[in-house]
Amino acid sequence: MIAFIQPGFWVFVLAMAGIYGIFSLGLQVQYGVGGILNFGHVGTMALSSYTMAILVISYGVNFWIASLCGVAVAALGGAFLGLTTLRLSGDYFSIVSIAFSEIVRYVIFNSDGFTGGSQGSLNIPAKVEGDYPTYTNTWEPFIGWVKDRLAVIFGDNADRDMAMALIVWITLGILLIIVGRIERMPWARVLRATREDDDVPAALGKNVFQFRLQAVILGSVIGGIAGIYWALQFSLLSPDDFLTIVTFYGWMILILSGAPKVKGLPIAAIFFGFLYGGTRFFTFWPFSILDSSQRAYIRIMIIGLVLIFLMLKRPQGLFGKREEMVLE
Amino acid sequence: MSNNLILDVRDIKVHFGGVKAVDGATMSVERGSVTSVIGPNGAGKTTLFNLISGAIASDSGTVAFNGEEIQNLHPHQIAHRGMIRTFQGAKVIKRLSVVENVMLGGQKNPGERLSGFFNPRARSRYESESRERAMSLLKQVGIDRFAEDYAGILSGGQRKLLDLARSLMAQPTMLLLDEPFAGVNPTLVEKLLEVLNSLRQAHQLSFLLVEHDLETVMNISDRVVVMAEGKVIADGLPNSIYDNELVIDAYLGTRKKKS
Ligand SMILES: Nc1ncnc2c1ncn2[C@@H]1O[C@H](COP(=O)(O)OP(=O)(O)OP(=O)(O)O)[C@@H](O)[C@H]1O
Ligand SMILES: [Mg+2]
Repeated sequence: MIAFIQPGFWVFVLAMAGIYGIFSLGLQVQYGVGGILNFGHVGTMALSSYTMAILVISYGVNFWIASLCGVAVAALGGAFLGLTTLRLSGDYFSIVSIAFSEIVRYVIFNSDGFTGGSQGSLNIPAKVEGDYPTYTNTWEPFIGWVKDRLAVIFGDNADRDMAMALIVWITLGILLIIVGRIERMPWARVLRATREDDDVPAALGKNVFQFRLQAVILGSVIGGIAGIYWALQFSLLSPDDFLTIVTFYGWMILILSGAPKVKGLPIAAIFFGFLYGGTRFFTFWPFSILDSSQRAYIRIMIIGLVLIFLMLKRPQGLFGKREEMVLE
Repeated sequence: MSNNLILDVRDIKVHFGGVKAVDGATMSVERGSVTSVIGPNGAGKTTLFNLISGAIASDSGTVAFNGEEIQNLHPHQIAHRGMIRTFQGAKVIKRLSVVENVMLGGQKNPGERLSGFFNPRARSRYESESRERAMSLLKQVGIDRFAEDYAGILSGGQRKLLDLARSLMAQPTMLLLDEPFAGVNPTLVEKLLEVLNSLRQAHQLSFLLVEHDLETVMNISDRVVVMAEGKVIADGLPNSIYDNELVIDAYLGTRKKKS
């Protein structure tokens, strides 16, 4: 109960909300514009974060370069997913996409000597024997520097989480501007057309497959960026961080925001973050009857109920356009 | 003669299960001409269009467009070569505005490449020119007042007009129109025919169209191809078709026999 009223906790939640917001923005490019239902999005986060961690810990690569490589590998993962499965019709793509992230997770789980396996990043073999396997050696001083700048304004309240929240939200802001612009380009108009029909754009000279592939890769790059922040936020990685449920959290944010436009996404992300963080504190009666693992399920049920309620009241999402939903 | 053919279809075939939808059709279209395909429902006219435009793959046979074999190309590649088709059902993108639907027809749009993100100037120049041209096409087909509405609100006939405007936006050298005038009111049909005719004269545009209204067909066609049960059963000048016994049996039926 104590943490409930501590501002520090909510700053942590804010940072997490931002990371989920970035993650969800990747889905937004794919679904909100191209109508592509990707249920394996968390795979891109797993690829980028693990690539970065392995490059830094096992090969001593500079953290910033390793992060870029991580995002690039996420993009490659997206390209692989798209090239192998986008030719399937929509429903099949969605099903296969789940397999994509699960395969990534299983490979990570079972490659002990390389990824640390079930033990996570703490078990990634360090380049120099005996070194502590961490990938945050470059990041922590940087975030400390940001924290010191924040201390000028916030005094003692400034902490690592606050610096993290700031950086994450600046990143999300920049990405929202870029993606917002891309979504006003004719490129996005073609993708919107492909959401309804393949034949018309094809008959007008558009390579539908290529447009979809680009959308999936772009979304994967954004998911990859979220993965780097995810790794930094927790300072260690484990295969369990990348369960399919995480993809669905991204979807929740997207559904809340009203998919076609990006502007609702940050607010939906905060809403989700606080719902998710807030329900953690349902330790009072009647929830106190249950033990903590049971409460974890109750929490997800409550999030679900709130979402159902919202969808009934505002099926177009918090910011979607209702007219778009009723066209036949 | 043969290099004056813009489209040359040889013995093309496709079947769906047991249905031989197109069963060895051979026909051609001369540059700058209007060729009409007629035939009873289920004769294979739309399927022939789908084969020519690459929307479905053929079992055998060849399709040459401007002398190049295109039967193995994808629809978008065929469109790039200047052949644009419309759809029998008049497909519109419901969640795009009417004018955006038309703008979709524009070719070589720099803003349709992701790299165009880094060239906002070229992108917006193309975009404003494209919007202007789209608006004038909408005016020509008489639905410009709906330009900013979702295409999903258009009536069936209006959707046909939109489909036509969108195809013209692509500045094709050949248009495949599948029943473009079905459900369009007669005065507008007159007007559209004028538009198409002027395009044909100005740009040597070639047409292949499917049409059930025989009067229109006889009026506008240079050649008429008659299909029945997947085969071309007659091919000739409009008048000769009107007198052809096979055609009378297969399509014109009693109406012609009475007179
Ligand atoms: N995708 C398909 N799958 C199965 N059968 C098909 C398919 N497309 C067409 N057919 C069949 O092929 C035959 C020819 O159909 P098509 O649509 O080409 O006829 P049409 O001449 O255009 O008729 P209409 O004048 O009614 O438009 C029909 O028997 C139809 O049922
Ligand atoms: Mg037809």
